[in-house]
Amino acid sequence: MYSILIVDDETSIRMMLYDYLEDKYEVLTAENAELGMRLCKERAFDMVISDVNMPGMKGPEFLSKVKKLRPATKTVLITAYNIDSYIRMAREYNITNIIPKTTPFNFLELDALVEGLLTQNIFGLFRYLLPGHTALGDYCIRSSSEAKQVREAVTDLFTEKLGTSGNMKLILDEIITNAVYHAPAYPDGTEKYPEYVEVQLQPDEFVYVECGHDAEKYGISITDNKGRLTKEMVLYKIDRQIAGEGILDDSGRGIHMSRLFSDRMIINISPNIKTEIILINYFSHKYRGYKPLYINEL
Amino acid sequence: MSFIIVIAMGGIALGAVVLALVNYRAMKKKNRKLERALRAHAEKADRSLTDKIKLSKTQLETAFDAITDYICAIDREYKIVRVNKSYADFVKFPIREILGRQCYEVFWKLSAPCERCPAGRTFLQGTPETKQRFSQRDLMNVRYFDVGTYPVAGADGATENVIEYIRDVTEEKNIMEQLIRSEKLATIGTMTAGIAHEMINPLSGISGTVTNMLQLPEKYGLNQKGVQRVSTLRDAAGRATMIMKDLLHLSRREDGTSVLTDINTIVKKAVNAVQLKGMSSIEYKLLLEKTLSKVLCDPVKIEQVVINMTTNAVQSIVEKRERATLEGKEHNGLIIISTQHVDDMVHIDIIDNGMGMSDEVKGKIFDPFFTTRAPGEGTGLGLSVCHRIVEEHNGRIVVESAGGLTTFSIILPVHRQA
Repeated sequence: MYSILIVDDETSIRMMLYDYLEDKYEVLTAENAELGMRLCKERAFDMVISDVNMPGMKGPEFLSKVKKLRPATKTVLITAYNIDSYIRMAREYNITNIIPKTTPFNFLELDALVEGLLTQNIFGLFRYLLPGHTALGDYCIRSSSEAKQVREAVTDLFTEKLGTSGNMKLILDEIITNAVYHAPAYPDGTEKYPEYVEVQLQPDEFVYVECGHDAEKYGISITDNKGRLTKEMVLYKIDRQIAGEGILDDSGRGIHMSRLFSDRMIINISPNIKTEIILINYFSHKYRGYKPLYINEL
Repeated sequence: MSFIIVIAMGGIALGAVVLALVNYRAMKKKNRKLERALRAHAEKADRSLTDKIKLSKTQLETAFDAITDYICAIDREYKIVRVNKSYADFVKFPIREILGRQCYEVFWKLSAPCERCPAGRTFLQGTPETKQRFSQRDLMNVRYFDVGTYPVAGADGATENVIEYIRDVTEEKNIMEQLIRSEKLATIGTMTAGIAHEMINPLSGISGTVTNMLQLPEKYGLNQKGVQRVSTLRDAAGRATMIMKDLLHLSRREDGTSVLTDINTIVKKAVNAVQLKGMSSIEYKLLLEKTLSKVLCDPVKIEQVVINMTTNAVQSIVEKRERATLEGKEHNGLIIISTQHVDDMVHIDIIDNGMGMSDEVKGKIFDPFFTTRAPGEGTGLGLSVCHRIVEEHNGRIVVESAGGLTTFSIILPVHRQA
């Protein structure tokens, strides 16, 4: 059984997480980072979930100390504050998963994140959908002309089946363009295909797109088979765009815009094997809270 | 017989030169010449001095009248002996009707001298009084004045008149109060944001714990009544969170950055960022006002708005050209992007000769998800998002479509130096 330590000064949050996770995992709690650190020195945890703002040592510093002590431990932050203002801090402390405290709390998302990180089974849109979800379709992109067709097919599909495609058509452009043009590269790292030209991808460079929905949300996953994107790069790009520094160049605009205009963006990376970007929109704004940060790198 | 040469100024004799006991005829020719020259010089000096004094008087009177603050001179009985034009304009009487009346009656509409009248003290002590704040109330509003009084010494050195200098400070006072109010509001906003975040934290915990209890009531020993009560709590936590979220939204100043930005740079960057099929044959004209004032804005967001508008313009032209081709015609696309300063606003106009739009479409373009295009086209943000972004910057978007030209104007307020 995996073990999880929960550190939060707010008792109701500690109890809520404890109650939800205790059936599947061995769960311990601590009300501040100092107590949490004492527990981590006594024994190893598979995962530590910590609040950001606590009296005494703050969450990011605490988690980076845990990582130093026990590098195998997975670390996750949880906060009621605006996660966008913590991106720079996340870069500094090498933290890639921040859960928002929403009302109602999004237990399914917590479940998918915790299980994915612990079992290292992170890929796939359907892991994030409720039981009884519907697969809407999947596509393979092998050329730039197919990329355009798939973009249109996907927005048509959402509009036809669900009556809305939200801002999906805007962000699909960005993400599929990234996958087609920026994933394939020569061994020295230079990109193979310049943007906006017609390209025919090599058989091992295809991009896979999958769509589906459940009772409360719909989503799409876009997977390239190169895995060149790294978590550091994602954090760097989002941080630059949030800070307004991205005005100098357009690097990272696609990722930033996708995060801005979808309810959830999940980035799963298996280095040099594949990158999956999952975009999810809720039918109604049920989970009132800030946008999370979910980057999983194996 | 004697000759008298008057030395005068402004027609008033100051003295005379008397050439006594002279027989004019007996005067030598040389001496007669001297007498005439002396007379001429005296007259000339009189004229020249009089002119200079007249000019200097006019200058002083003009300056006196040009002063927009209200000035009057009073005597010891508070009777007005002199006023400037602004004073007369303010009390709405001709100057001749003001002279000789009491200042407290004419200006302050009182029947006796004002309490703590500074002019009274200046008469007594012979020293100036400055910056005394007085207010005047009528039916509609209150005006505030700063009053200063300055002694004018008479021939004997005693204070003969007092100059009252009255400045209307109502606007100044209002602006100052507004500043204090907005500072207070900003502080309250920051406090509210902090409180809201601190509230959301336990509310999330309450809501989540209650959700757990409703999922597995037996685990928590809940009976039917307990389930009912607990689900009421969950709804209450949800409502409270909603209120907090609205509050946060209202007090939101943390999201996005505000930078003093050169709009021309943004426009150039945005135009370069647009890369679309079929745009190479479109003619571009950039008419950017060189001395454009800077705008306090989030450059990333404003750039996204310009990118979106430019993208729309390109797509509209491409569509028009495709239709023209079907009919065997040609269509030369043109996009004009101009920036200019109009009053206190910076205008970014994006003009295209594409499809144009009907009034019906014009009324809907800012609705979320409204589009006339096939899905999958473009990289914009949607006009509704543009609209929101521009509104967040206290600006507006104006759309016009006539004579084959469509103009999207992004209008943003110019940054004013405090």
